[in-house]
Amino acid sequence: MVIAPLRRKVLRDLVRLWAQVLAIALVLAAGVATLILGNGAYSSLYETRSKYYEDNRFADVFADVTRAPRALLAEIEEIEGVLDAEARIVKLGLLDIDGMKEPGSVLFVSLPGNGAGLNQLYLRLGRLPDAQSAKEVVVADGFAKAHNLGPGDTLPVLMNGQRRELQITGVALSPEFIYALGPGQMMPDPRRFGIVWAPRASLEASFDLEGAFSNVVLKLAPGANPDRVIETLDRLTAPYGGVGASPRKDQISHAFLDAELKQLSAMVKVLPPIFLLVAAMLVNMTLSRLIALEREQIGLLKAIGYSSRSIAQHYVEFVVVIAFVGILIGMAAGTWLGTGMAQMYARFFSFPYLVFTRDPQIYGLAAVITLASAIGGALYAVRTVLRLPPAVAMAPPAPAVYRQRMGWFRRLLPMPQTGVMVARHLFRWPFRTASSTIGVAMAVAILVASLWSFGSINYMIDITFFRTERHDAQVVFGAPEPYRTLFAVRQMPGVLVAEPFRSVSAKISHQNLSKKLAIVGRPAGSELSRVLDADLRLMEPPAAGLILTEALADALGVRPGDLVTVEVLEGARPTVTLPVNGVSLGYVGLGAAMEIGALNRLMGESALVSGLNLKIDKAQDAAFYAAAKAAPKTEHITVTALMLGRFKETLAENITVMITVYVSLATIIAVGVVYNFSRIALSEQGRELASLRVLGFTNREVAGVLFGELAVVVLLAQPIGWLIGYGIGLAMVAAFSSDLYRVPFVMGRDVYATASLVVLAAALVSAFAIRGRINNLDMIEVLKTRE
Amino acid sequence: MTAEIVFRAKGLTKVYRNGALEVHALRGIDFQARKGEFIVILGPSGSGKSTFLNIVGGLDKASAGEAWFEDHQLTALDEKGLTQYRRDHVGFVFQFYNLVPSLTARENVQLVTEIARKPMSADEALALVGLSERADHFPAQLSGGEQQRVAIARAIAKNPEVLLCDEPTGALDSATGIKVLEALTQVNRAVGATTLVITHNAAIRDIADRVIRFADGRIVEESVNATKKAAAEVSW
Ligand SMILES: Nc1ncnc2c1ncn2[C@@H]1O[C@H](COP(=O)(O)OP(=O)(O)O)[C@@H](O)[C@H]1O
Ligand SMILES: [Mg+2]
Repeated sequence: MVIAPLRRKVLRDLVRLWAQVLAIALVLAAGVATLILGNGAYSSLYETRSKYYEDNRFADVFADVTRAPRALLAEIEEIEGVLDAEARIVKLGLLDIDGMKEPGSVLFVSLPGNGAGLNQLYLRLGRLPDAQSAKEVVVADGFAKAHNLGPGDTLPVLMNGQRRELQITGVALSPEFIYALGPGQMMPDPRRFGIVWAPRASLEASFDLEGAFSNVVLKLAPGANPDRVIETLDRLTAPYGGVGASPRKDQISHAFLDAELKQLSAMVKVLPPIFLLVAAMLVNMTLSRLIALEREQIGLLKAIGYSSRSIAQHYVEFVVVIAFVGILIGMAAGTWLGTGMAQMYARFFSFPYLVFTRDPQIYGLAAVITLASAIGGALYAVRTVLRLPPAVAMAPPAPAVYRQRMGWFRRLLPMPQTGVMVARHLFRWPFRTASSTIGVAMAVAILVASLWSFGSINYMIDITFFRTERHDAQVVFGAPEPYRTLFAVRQMPGVLVAEPFRSVSAKISHQNLSKKLAIVGRPAGSELSRVLDADLRLMEPPAAGLILTEALADALGVRPGDLVTVEVLEGARPTVTLPVNGVSLGYVGLGAAMEIGALNRLMGESALVSGLNLKIDKAQDAAFYAAAKAAPKTEHITVTALMLGRFKETLAENITVMITVYVSLATIIAVGVVYNFSRIALSEQGRELASLRVLGFTNREVAGVLFGELAVVVLLAQPIGWLIGYGIGLAMVAAFSSDLYRVPFVMGRDVYATASLVVLAAALVSAFAIRGRINNLDMIEVLKTRE
Repeated sequence: MTAEIVFRAKGLTKVYRNGALEVHALRGIDFQARKGEFIVILGPSGSGKSTFLNIVGGLDKASAGEAWFEDHQLTALDEKGLTQYRRDHVGFVFQFYNLVPSLTARENVQLVTEIARKPMSADEALALVGLSERADHFPAQLSGGEQQRVAIARAIAKNPEVLLCDEPTGALDSATGIKVLEALTQVNRAVGATTLVITHNAAIRDIADRVIRFADGRIVEESVNATKKAAAEVSW
């Protein structure tokens, strides 16, 4: 076989250049790994959810009512497009577990009794309750684990103000509560929020809902228009306190999963292309140098009859091997990280199983894309081989053409001749200088684009918990209470300050856009719950009119001064047109604020309050929790410190992993680019540098020439990286914001500084790795040989 | 001649080890050079001339014996000390010029004057080798002889005490070689640097104060030139 000696050369080159090969392979591997991880996690999550929804008949439409007769169900089932409907009782209760001082909620959900129905349970342990039993229940898996409960245990709760000892017969999961968010909470907290499924008869009795229901879920026929169905459903439920049905996409658990999927797909769009681009540039750089060094060999091979093609193929083979190493490492890492990611999902989301798709198509795609980018980089370098006539190739290359184009610059900034060497060399290879700079900039950008989120979460916490919602606790009543309840609560132990609020479900529309949300009314001068404008200035609730959060204003396309239509979904259900008085800050959900008196007037009701914001004496918090729990009107109690604690705890769990991952990814790029750049620069200038040593330049000074080049590239990359990172961050903010939450874009100087420090450290380490080669430059050897 | 002694070597030995193979490049060299002396070193290829020059130039270390430059014992210096020695006292000229391709002729000279203690100006050094007009050219734009003269200018610009030249005309045609040698003798007189020139061409001996012949790692012949010729008078 003719090509065999060339094959041997491929292997020898790979071994000789192993460090550069590995550096490039790792960058490729990072691309493959993020591609596999991102796509794998996406499809795992997506497929798991789809399968779970299908297996357990997850509903398409969800609607709450106050109390509707069961006879209404027949009418609902008649709606065109409705395949199946289930009338349920869904009610909040309170936990009353001995030794659990802080308040916790339970959501009671009725079971259809016949084993069919929608949102079917996935029974993990035990059995379903006996349909006739008034005590037997099934509890959610996460909640059971958090409290160490199982079949046979009892669960003390407050249902409709009455203490009950429930009997747990089983532990289950439901597609409705994959992401189980308690009332008023920002993060799932299985200790303080549980789902309890009970037979309908038992809940009917407990909540005085005999022959009635409080919630209906629908399964639609394939292709049915949910909006059309919801319109009809809303009309049917309106007389019974219907607050408007939600399509599946607005169902909390589903929407949070959607948000996660959105983030994953954003990651897949950003990270792998960065790595593959950088890798292609590295391949190009390294191969171009290799080809330049082997110019004479190439000429010789051509002269003795090897075709240009077979020689080009030889270099492509070299790159293909690198790509394969990268692909293999990347696939292994991606698969391993994917398992880790799946475990993370298992912690956040309650799935009965995870379909971890190892879709061969994703692997194949990753391999093909990676190979293509590596070969792309190679072909660009190999072009010269194809063009080179053998006679020209065998002659020494024409000397590099340098130009004195920096006269003006040197007059401004006098620099030593070694500095001139640095500058001229960088300008001599503008493509390499630019691509290395961009490569390092990408490492900075990856860090900037990932690290900002932590600062912005802190900012969000600060705004939300320390500047706007400044209460220690919030008590929410099952139904609006008269104003005097305020005085009763003020008498409870530990209550220092109590401020009322009214919350009313409404649909706010502007032109053809509309959103359903709760309008919150507060008295002027409220201290514990405030509304701030974009500059953090206090906004007093307007006497007539609304203040909308930025998210809502954007969603409706309104600006201050515009008029919106408010369709109240409670009580007398008035519809009014109100002016938008201002736009406020707000990161969680959509919000609209009014003055409480104005809101009550709008409702045509006397002074009513939906709940109270409280300042609590910490020393007496246990007594307060007990009293608030015992008060019959209390539907749920949120405690800011606990919510914040849970938030920070969850964040802390992820932050280390995330920082490790992103720092590793950035380091791989930075090291890959800097190391290859240095090795190539050294290979090109080794002779000159050795000559400098002969002239009496110290090792340190000679290293300074090479590191000077590196420093220019790395330093130039910083602002570019900041800029690219800022851009990616901005795009991510847009991709991450949903009606559930909105991420403030806070790009602090610390983010830039941290990103740069990490990359500089990586650059320094890689520079250090070639320091030994500089120290060992063979002075005598260069004197004996012609260039 | 009673000028002070600049170089002294005693029993200088160099053994290269390539695995089991030992090459005795130098087998005990005793040598002295006086200030300002122009010494030509002759000898067949592989006789140890370059090895000797590299050791006295501080580029290489001896296996045994002593070498002194004034009151510095070169054979006792470490890497750092040798670098400092080259930087302060030695000018080199090599067969392949070893210019920095990205610097112009003047800049190549400035490279050295910037780090020297008592340098002449770069233009002065280039004038000494007759290259004032070509100062702003890059090495690639100069002929071989011109490049070598830039290398000489670079070597003498620091006003070195010693000028070491290893086959400076080896890559040049004879006419160009003469120009280079002229430049060398001229700077030897102008700067007063002790000059050691290795060459294959025996004809060069006539321009030297002293001629030393190497063979098989030893100095086998030494002759003092009473009447030294100018380079232009030398026939090649
Ligand atoms: N680095 C080295 N390793 C091994 N042998 C060497 C080395 N450098 C020189 N030699 C050997 O030492 C001897 C003297 O070499 P050299 O001083 O270069 O001779 P010259 O300059 O007189 O031609 C030769 O035999 C040569 O092969
Ligand atoms: Mg020699």
